[in-house]
Amino acid sequence: MRVYEVFCQEAPGGQHIHAGNVLAPDIELACQYARNSFARRGEARRLWVVPRDAIREVADPDLLDPPGDHRYRMGRYFRAAVEKRKRLRAKYAKGPVA
Amino acid sequence: MSDDDRVEEFKQYVRGGGTIEPTDWMPDEYRQRLLRFVEMHANSEIMGALPERDWILRAPSLKRKLVLTAKIQDEVGHAQLLYRIAEDLGKPREQMFDDLVNGRTKFHNVFHYPTKTWADAGVIGWLVDAAAILSQSALLRTSYGPYARTMKRVCWEEAFHLKQGEDICLTLAGGSELQRSMLQEAINRWWEPLMMFHGPPTPPETDADLAWRIKTKPNDELRQEFLDRYVPQIREMGLTVPDPIVQKDPAAGRWAYSEPDWSKLYAVVSGSGPASAQRLGFRRLSYEEGAWVRNALTGRSLAAA
Ligand SMILES: [Fe+2]
Ligand SMILES: [Fe+2]
Repeated sequence: MRVYEVFCQEAPGGQHIHAGNVLAPDIELACQYARNSFARRGEARRLWVVPRDAIREVADPDLLDPPGDHRYRMGRYFRAAVEKRKRLRAKYAKGPVA
Repeated sequence: MSDDDRVEEFKQYVRGGGTIEPTDWMPDEYRQRLLRFVEMHANSEIMGALPERDWILRAPSLKRKLVLTAKIQDEVGHAQLLYRIAEDLGKPREQMFDDLVNGRTKFHNVFHYPTKTWADAGVIGWLVDAAAILSQSALLRTSYGPYARTMKRVCWEEAFHLKQGEDICLTLAGGSELQRSMLQEAINRWWEPLMMFHGPPTPPETDADLAWRIKTKPNDELRQEFLDRYVPQIREMGLTVPDPIVQKDPAAGRWAYSEPDWSKLYAVVSGSGPASAQRLGFRRLSYEEGAWVRNALTGRSLAAA
């Protein structure tokens, strides 16, 4: 017996989201069980059924959130731009200053 | 069902908003067009890293260097995501790189031009990325599922690119006369490539990429959106756009602009832009110099390469 993780696409074009897992002797039955556990009401467009041992979990904060300030990678870091634009707008409201 | 009926049914499905996944059947023409479109997008991301790369060491502060490095890292990351989509459509990555460095496939016109001053780095981040964001936002509704989902992440990251570029431009615009004229000259230089960016005003009914809903907005509509959003922003900074007829017709709700010379666009993307040869040469060099790394990772011997 093997554990299979199940990912479900609910909306057409949507992402496959982790739904849960099933225990099964082989992939064929795993797909049946996945259908029975997670798609009994026609809620799934597609299922992905993946052996758990094919999945590697990465949760190392040194890798995912390394020390250092990375806020500058976000648009909202540039809040000062709003003020800069306001000042320019006020200064040049009557067109370019010759 | 005959093959023709099957293709017709597929067309109706994607036109009606249907989504296609990699494991679905698709007509050859759809796969070919989609692959060409995504591959050019991927090529543009990786070639787009080069003009700004020149400015990392010359950026005026440590903060600007960090920000620019982060942006360039994003662009190369976008290329990685897009090349994966293209690979799943059937073209090996080495073939795509080979075609790119040998000029058999194309990348966006704006990356065929040199950057002269720091203001160019600002104008690229602000206005070139703005133009790209408009195209990429329209692609959120493409018929190909993996492409649409990739665009979500890409657009999210692009918002930062635009902001950092706008901040460079606003800083220059609020600075000395020299800084302001440097910015105005950069806008003048980039205006024509920007007006060409979204492509010729192909009538929507003859644009096959629209018919297959690979893209979702006609070229000229994207250009109108660009003018609508950014001409006022440039002008309120006390700057001008170098085209005297650019103005909005309030009745029609459309912007007038001087028609670019579209044969020039074709020549530029075919490799006769002012920086085409140099950029491709650099890409070829780094591709060749990186061969030993690829071989080491895939366990191939250098002799077999
Ligand atoms: Fe990008
Ligand atoms: Fe970008």
